[in-house]
Amino acid sequence: MKHYSKLYLFLIGVFFLGTRCSSDFLDVPVQGAATAATDPALAEKLVTGVYNSLISGDAFGKGDTHGIAFIASTNIMSDDADKGSTDSDQKGTVGELDDFLHGPSNIFVGSIWSGHYNAIAQCNQALKALETAKVDSITKKRWIGEVRFLRGYYYFNLVRYFGGVPAVLRVPESAADANSDDKFQTRASVDEIYNIIFDDMTFAINNTPLRNATQKGRINKGLAQSMLAKVYMYRKDWQKVLDLTTEVMTSNQYDLLPQYEKIWRFEGNNSIESVFEIQTGTFNNTDYGVRGYCVWQGPRVGGKGGWRDLGFGFCTPSSDLVNAYAAEDNRRKSTVIEIDNSGTYIGTILFDGYRIPSKDSIQNLYYNYKAYHSELMTIEPFLGNRDNKQKNIHILRYADVLLMYAEAANELGNASMAIEQVNRLRLRAGLTELSSGLSGQALREAIWNERRFELAMEHDRFFDIVRQGRAEQIMKAHGKNFVAGKHELLPIPALQIELSGNRLKQNQGY
Amino acid sequence: MNLRKVIFLLLLIAGSISMSAQTRILKGVVTDEGTKETIIGASIAVKESTSGTITDIDGNFELDVKSGDILVISYIGYATQELTVFQQNNITIALKQESVLLNQVVVVGYGSQRKVDITGATVSVKGEELAKQPVMTATQALQGKVAGVQIISSGRPGSSPDVRVRGTGTALAGTTALFVVDGVLTDDISNINTADIVTMDVLKDASSTSIYGARGANGVVIITTKKGASGVTKMNYNNFIGVRNAARLVEMANAEEYSNYASAATGQTVFVGDYNTDWYDLILRNAWTHNHNFSLSGGSDRSTHFLGFGFLEDEGIVLNNKFDRLNVRTNLDFKISSKVNVGINGSYTRSDDRDVNLGAAYNNAYRAAPTIPGVIGGRYGNTSEYQNVGNPVLDLNNNDNKAVRDRLQSSGYLEIKPYKGLSFRSMVGTDILNINERRYGYQFFNDEITFLKAGGNQRSERSSLNQKHENSFRWVWDNIVTYETAFGKHNVKMLAGTTAEAFSLQWASANRQDVPADKDLWYITTGNANTSTNDGGGDKWARNSYLSRVNYGYNDKYLLTATVRADGSSRISKDNRWGFFPSFGLGWMISNEPFMKNISFVESLKLRTSWGRVGNDRVPSDAFTVTVTPNLAYPFGGGVATPGSAVTQIKDPDLKWETTEEFDLGLEYSLLKGKLYGELGFYNKKSRDLLINVKVPAVAGDEDGVVLTNAASIKNTGFEMSVNWRTRINQNMTYKVGANVTINRNRVIGLNGGQPILDGGIGAGQIYSTRTDNGNPIGSFYVYQVLGVFQNAEEINAYTSSSGAVIQASASPGDFKYMDVNDDGRIDDKDRVFVGSYQPKAYFGINGEVSYKAFDLSVDIYGNVGNHVYNGKKALRLSGLDNIEKTLAYDRWTPGLNIQDEPSANSGFLPASTYFVESGDFIRLNNVTLSYTLPKSMISKIKIENAKIFVTGQNLITLQKFTGFTPELPDSSPTKSGIELNAYPTTRTFAGGVNISF
Repeated sequence: MKHYSKLYLFLIGVFFLGTRCSSDFLDVPVQGAATAATDPALAEKLVTGVYNSLISGDAFGKGDTHGIAFIASTNIMSDDADKGSTDSDQKGTVGELDDFLHGPSNIFVGSIWSGHYNAIAQCNQALKALETAKVDSITKKRWIGEVRFLRGYYYFNLVRYFGGVPAVLRVPESAADANSDDKFQTRASVDEIYNIIFDDMTFAINNTPLRNATQKGRINKGLAQSMLAKVYMYRKDWQKVLDLTTEVMTSNQYDLLPQYEKIWRFEGNNSIESVFEIQTGTFNNTDYGVRGYCVWQGPRVGGKGGWRDLGFGFCTPSSDLVNAYAAEDNRRKSTVIEIDNSGTYIGTILFDGYRIPSKDSIQNLYYNYKAYHSELMTIEPFLGNRDNKQKNIHILRYADVLLMYAEAANELGNASMAIEQVNRLRLRAGLTELSSGLSGQALREAIWNERRFELAMEHDRFFDIVRQGRAEQIMKAHGKNFVAGKHELLPIPALQIELSGNRLKQNQGY
Repeated sequence: MNLRKVIFLLLLIAGSISMSAQTRILKGVVTDEGTKETIIGASIAVKESTSGTITDIDGNFELDVKSGDILVISYIGYATQELTVFQQNNITIALKQESVLLNQVVVVGYGSQRKVDITGATVSVKGEELAKQPVMTATQALQGKVAGVQIISSGRPGSSPDVRVRGTGTALAGTTALFVVDGVLTDDISNINTADIVTMDVLKDASSTSIYGARGANGVVIITTKKGASGVTKMNYNNFIGVRNAARLVEMANAEEYSNYASAATGQTVFVGDYNTDWYDLILRNAWTHNHNFSLSGGSDRSTHFLGFGFLEDEGIVLNNKFDRLNVRTNLDFKISSKVNVGINGSYTRSDDRDVNLGAAYNNAYRAAPTIPGVIGGRYGNTSEYQNVGNPVLDLNNNDNKAVRDRLQSSGYLEIKPYKGLSFRSMVGTDILNINERRYGYQFFNDEITFLKAGGNQRSERSSLNQKHENSFRWVWDNIVTYETAFGKHNVKMLAGTTAEAFSLQWASANRQDVPADKDLWYITTGNANTSTNDGGGDKWARNSYLSRVNYGYNDKYLLTATVRADGSSRISKDNRWGFFPSFGLGWMISNEPFMKNISFVESLKLRTSWGRVGNDRVPSDAFTVTVTPNLAYPFGGGVATPGSAVTQIKDPDLKWETTEEFDLGLEYSLLKGKLYGELGFYNKKSRDLLINVKVPAVAGDEDGVVLTNAASIKNTGFEMSVNWRTRINQNMTYKVGANVTINRNRVIGLNGGQPILDGGIGAGQIYSTRTDNGNPIGSFYVYQVLGVFQNAEEINAYTSSSGAVIQASASPGDFKYMDVNDDGRIDDKDRVFVGSYQPKAYFGINGEVSYKAFDLSVDIYGNVGNHVYNGKKALRLSGLDNIEKTLAYDRWTPGLNIQDEPSANSGFLPASTYFVESGDFIRLNNVTLSYTLPKSMISKIKIENAKIFVTGQNLITLQKFTGFTPELPDSSPTKSGIELNAYPTTRTFAGGVNISF
């Protein structure tokens, strides 16, 4: 048997060498998740990913750009809408914002901050990837323009929500980098943020095509001009507002839709009046839209039982708004679902024939019609996912462009130019024309008033009254505990201050 | 090879004995030296040859021998004897019973050792002790048997219990022990048939587990399955058939009590009506369970085999629930020559799990009003029309979910022993798992076809079908060289080896809606193609390790063990990829010292101590690589969206494994000739570099705002003790009684910049109920302190902070008064306090066994103290119309009664408070088994060697303080364990069966 021993030793040797594996045995790439190194088409996908940030609405988690936190801090905080729902539901989040009891720990305030900075980080990631992307220079510039517009838009929201915020224009190398760079950890001034917005949007104007020359829903020149006009309106740079809106109005790309109520119907998506509209559709064969936008605002049964819920019943038009409409103003019935409280149990029939029962079976008296998307799959596309209904959100309409133009014209002393444009909206609403003798402060207030009804429940009102300097007066008259010099802005989230090592300074009064 | 050669070879093997020169037949009998009884199945082998036999049922044997042969006679539990054959033809061999403790051989990592030579903390449990309990997994049967090992089991069919060895030393990386089945490493042994197990060896301290390096931190459980023995073929059949039911129910209010409470809570009149539904009665049932095992084992001097076949059917006690499992095992060992052995172990398991959505049904059964009927004439009572709660029976009937798992676990080895003392073993193991899941949701509307009354939110407008297929493959290849030698008083055993391992997994799933309700049509193709959705993914990792161990013994008195393992893992970033896990153990056999010679009551006494470092590498494979998140699409112009991606997570590129360092001190004793024996142990286990999420500012662009990194530290300190007494009273009666207790103290000792983990969200406004933070046990309950109930408005106004602010201004009489801990005049999250955790301060087991003639009675008791549980189901009260527990119907606050511990009738949404935290102390009669061995005279005629019938009861009586179903609440996440929200009710089982060998 002796000679076998050598064989055994040889075998043992072979086995040991066998398991002393080659050096790359442990280099196992991550499966099923692309990295910059593995996907050459990444830059384009990252651009689309930035657009995707428009539909983020996870107010309890990852962040919110256009979900319930957005709804709460624009519509519900204003005099146009109340919290709605049942008394107790979301009292500590939406309820605090509605009643101006919110502090730096309000989670919805935190999720607006993180939702916007997540989106801005995605913009910066895309811009970084585009630097080295192998595409033709025109396409590349167009994509950079689209992404920079969106970054500018998010900063425009941030500066209106919080004032000066950290100016983050690059991708941090690591968590440590983000923690140490002052740019990430301290607030830039309001002016600095506006300068970023001007730069980004100007780049977009110069590098994106006209609306009709690009895909629907893509950032285009007219949109960038309109949004930049709005930015200048907040800076009271009226000549710029007038110039930019004039360019948009003479571009032959936009007009008013004859029927106001059609704007919020599926058939009104990306209509001639649409300037900036968040797109919805389908993905992976399910409904794809802003998370929860419809269901948060849908009519609610609450504890009443019997009928079935369409939603949680938040953001209900205030009776103040409902009663402020002129009797003949047809915009009211397109803005407000009015619940039957007549005692005759007729209920409310919506445009699609869907019947909502009367007050005894339902929680609130009014609901937001502009957030209603048909329950009936045959009327408007709906695959059954109530949380992600295909409801486009109208961030900026041509009507707003006309109103900006009018306001700028009036501020620059040209009342008749202003009245002409306002009247287009009034006539569509079934109202009489403005008196041609109006000018100055009276006309200014008439335009502001028109803005309220034309753009009601469209996330404009609260920013607008702060811009107009009337927030304290209006909100106090509305019975809210509004503190001037404090409540114009949201508090900087407490967690973010803590994570900055207190280098982020809190807003006044919080 | 032609046929003639084959026949010749077979003849050669079969006739190898008769072909030896000058042989004659030796007849003999083997007996017990003490009792003089004959021993069945003792092995008699001729040394240095391949011939041998085993004794028959009368203890007799016949063997061809020649003068000068040395016979080796061995039998389990007896000292092996050698004797030289002279001229005799008849021989009586008396074997001496040996102390189990002294010569017990136990399995350790990559080898085996005499128990006395081990310097670490290990416990070995015999398979038969596990198999007698009518439980589904072997680990559950381990409960209460081993000090330092806590088993938390669930009654859910097919589930695996949590195994916590010496406390919890991790927050986010998985707490379950590593299992090693015949050399194959795995995290899940639900495929193993308990009847196939010979021993389960639990390695508890770092000195025993460090041979498993980066996988040893949670303890290691080594499972050895049965092998054949040469000799006559043995067959065994055993079974149990039994019935299970819920061990304990929570009694809910009846219609009248309910209407009384609900009226008070809502302020509206709630009518009693005509029905009085006990929802638990409708969704729970008595369930049958039966288990059958057949095995065949035997072998020749050249090969041995074990074939096992098992079938288990377990109806869950929840409606529609069911679990079936089929096992086939083949363990084969071949002796190719005196120096070469090969073998193969294979196990195939198929399980069929009809799962139910217990979460919804269980919660709804607790909340649904008793005034609504369950099911009448096939139509359901409409609870959701009445109170926005689903009908629990419909919750269980409206879907049909099934998972079929096929698992093939096998290993093959080659063992070469070229020189005396030197052995080389190469083992290749594979583990293949295929999972096919099918989930079907029926279509139904809130109309009068489905319900007795139309309306409400419980509906499913479109049927849906989901099919998911997952398969994974794991291989491991070990090469181990062992050298053992003795010179003078020195004993040395050395081991060195390498191991490589790789794993891959892929899954794909498909969904469609509008699939017809007929079961035969539940395939994707029958659904509406316009609703197709699909998804898929995968995982891969690899490990490579080098390991080594030295055991040194001097004069059987002084023992030293040193091990080291170097582990490389693909799941760890390149710079930290290799980890180094050493350990040292020292032992002193005090009883072998000369000064102990005269102390006769001490049979054996060993002091041991060890230190070691182990790791936990259960880190996700993508934890350190920045990847993009796909499927972030945008629908330009409406319609089908364009796919997009984004970088949404910041990663820690330097991620590494968690490290645990453990100090162990133990004393093993055996006194009074082995009648009294046991162990005392102390351990101090510090785990550092534990994975925890560190928050990063939102500007960094991390979607969830946290980055997984190694920051936290946890310490477990404990004391374990076991005492066993066994004795034979007389010829007819023996008894054995044992007890073990473990005291463990768990503390988070550092977060090091990591965020305290808030977890245990309940719903109904309770976003979290636990907090894992410095200085407290992991997953401690963190809630408001209830001070009492406000009796009237004066008390509310009088409850002020030191600055005079009314703390609970909006409270009403009958509401809870909460402690304003920070005295800021309001009750908010800053007022939460730590009020204990689910980690028990101590747990214990008591095991007793009495044999009288042919009867055997065994009793197992298990319990724990010092832990708390959170009554989550009670906390999830969403409306004044939700049902209540019967006691609440009478004990609630009402004006004038000065009740301080229950609030007035309310509509729920109470904040997380001490009101929901209850004591988790319990003691349970785990198992009682009575068996009767049929007399030989009766069965030997029908060729049955041994037959036993038994009856057994599992989980018979529990004494608990908790008012819910069970304080035993497994949860895979250590930061939210101990919460009763939708736990599967603990079951009680009565079963009977037979165990027949022939």
